[in-house]
Amino acid sequence: MIKLSQERTKELLAIHGWSGIILGLLLYAVICTGTIAVFSTEIGDWSNPLDAPATEGLPPNINALVQELGDQVDPAYRDQFFLYSSGGGRLMLQFEGHLEQDGDDDHPGAEEHYGVLYEIDPNTLTLLNRTEGPEAMLDAARRATDALADFFVDLHVRLHIPNPWGLFVTGVLGLIMMVAAITGFLVHRHLIRELFTIRRNKEALLRSRDAHVIAGTWTLPFAFVLAFTGSFFSFATSLGLPAMAMVVFGGDQERAIAEVFGEPPATDETPAPVANFDAVIADATARTGARPNFIAGSFYGRADSQMRAFTPAEEGDLTGRSPVYSGVTGEFLYDKPVLVGQSPSAGNAVAALMAPLHFGNFAGIVSKAVWFALGFAGAYVALTGMLLWTNRRADQRAWQRMGRIVHWMGYGLPLTMAMTPYGTFAGRWFGWPLETAQWTAFGLAALAALIVALGARTAARARDLLVATTGFALLGVPLVRYATGGPGWLGAWSDGLMTVIAGDLIMMLGGVICLGLWRFGAGTSAEQAGQANSRPGRPGRSNPQVTA
Amino acid sequence: MTTADHITAAGIRQRPRLRAWTRGVLAGPLAFVASSILMAGAALYLPEGAAGIDNLVFPVVLFPLIWAVLFLYALLDRRLLRAYVVIGLVLASHGGLIAAHLGSVA
Repeated sequence: MIKLSQERTKELLAIHGWSGIILGLLLYAVICTGTIAVFSTEIGDWSNPLDAPATEGLPPNINALVQELGDQVDPAYRDQFFLYSSGGGRLMLQFEGHLEQDGDDDHPGAEEHYGVLYEIDPNTLTLLNRTEGPEAMLDAARRATDALADFFVDLHVRLHIPNPWGLFVTGVLGLIMMVAAITGFLVHRHLIRELFTIRRNKEALLRSRDAHVIAGTWTLPFAFVLAFTGSFFSFATSLGLPAMAMVVFGGDQERAIAEVFGEPPATDETPAPVANFDAVIADATARTGARPNFIAGSFYGRADSQMRAFTPAEEGDLTGRSPVYSGVTGEFLYDKPVLVGQSPSAGNAVAALMAPLHFGNFAGIVSKAVWFALGFAGAYVALTGMLLWTNRRADQRAWQRMGRIVHWMGYGLPLTMAMTPYGTFAGRWFGWPLETAQWTAFGLAALAALIVALGARTAARARDLLVATTGFALLGVPLVRYATGGPGWLGAWSDGLMTVIAGDLIMMLGGVICLGLWRFGAGTSAEQAGQANSRPGRPGRSNPQVTA
Repeated sequence: MTTADHITAAGIRQRPRLRAWTRGVLAGPLAFVASSILMAGAALYLPEGAAGIDNLVFPVVLFPLIWAVLFLYALLDRRLLRAYVVIGLVLASHGGLIAAHLGSVA
């Protein structure tokens, strides 16, 4: 029990509530999409599968194909090369260099990233697609293979706001969430007792407040960790590293990068053979105990070429490893810390901890499921917190309106997320630009939800309509997936595409749960206790004694 | 109340709305700027560690915590003027450190 004076508790409660309500709607969106983004790999495999599942890590016997494709790329665009997996396990081989624009002696042309992206079936090692163009075009081609997962991940990471502003916004949201978690912890006068207390015989608002406190208390450490690591990810690249480069290195970005990520090898542009990729992958597997899932290299086909293999974390480890090889002979050069520095350090260890703690991917599907459940609880806490706050002030017209907006976001966002796959599948089937199709489905669902949230006679009615529609939308997703060319269950079963079947079943289960909530659910405090029982402008019953 | 009264501590104390805004400015933009400056300045005196990067990494990792501490302190210190002084000292000390370093580099 933490002893605080009544006045101090009141102040902390005010900070807790106001920090949540001011940016709570956006925070709720970030939490919801983050909860889904935990399964981004599985979403990619489900929404855009190949004919057969791909093996874990980079596929075997790829050297001949990679070298054949690499030789076809203009040497000007071979400064960097990458091998990695995308949606459905597709193998992506990317080359990037610089394209110099036309200019003259006084006004030299600007350089832009330009390159070639190959999409390869890892099972048959056949070329599926080739894209050549500026970086944005390559990025769009890569995103097309993993469009649905990317949409949710982008919404989570930067709310689709261009960088660095999007990262700033989500970083601030992370800070707000951290403050809500800290103040929520401090105002708990009976921490242990509140873990188990729900006053069933009391009025709805008290029960709802207890449910908010129970969910919030159980997920407090997790909420703090997520908020802390989330703000770190948002601010590290948008604020931290630029600030360090400016202060410590006097604005010399190249020196800062060399210090943090290591000096590049001495330049030697002499043409040279390319190391055997299969041999490098085999050596990295033997050396680290895990098959690499990513290779990043520099200066393909030159004497100063190097390549670095990244392996996932082995059992018992929180982070993977990244041995570095000569890009010419394939000889092992040294083991490099995964994130920063040239040798092991406390700084690298701490920074490397941030990813598994945030993504929950350190123990495969089990830790992901736990992170999903805790994220879901976090979304519930955010939503019920906002409903309690608006409900408590339901006698004021502005807060009634705010209550409707909370209903729109709270119950409308799941609907818009359930509708997004419709846009993805339809876009892929009809050949529409995928992002446009996704935004259309998302935007129309958001608009419909807004009309329902503001126009329904009561907020309870709005909630019911939105939850029911989300249920039907989720039930329809597998049908739309199948109708737009996706594999059926029998075909998926015989081809071993279990992620497809599992994804469909989860959608259907989600749909059934939503319909169950709609049909038999007790509703939330907002519906039962008054604020939301009437359109804005018609004050409902409220209980000013109950604090959020 | 005269205009001069408004900007004195007593003047602010007597006007709850002005007091709330003054505290809001301290807890919001000023605490954020102070955290950023503290983060950048700390890289100049923290130990570099075995790989020479600890002084760069730790302030960036700890930035959210630094901000949370300053934010909550700015809101909870009952003496608003003292809170301004403390956060001002953080800003001045680390800002000065950064300015001195950049001056010596130049």
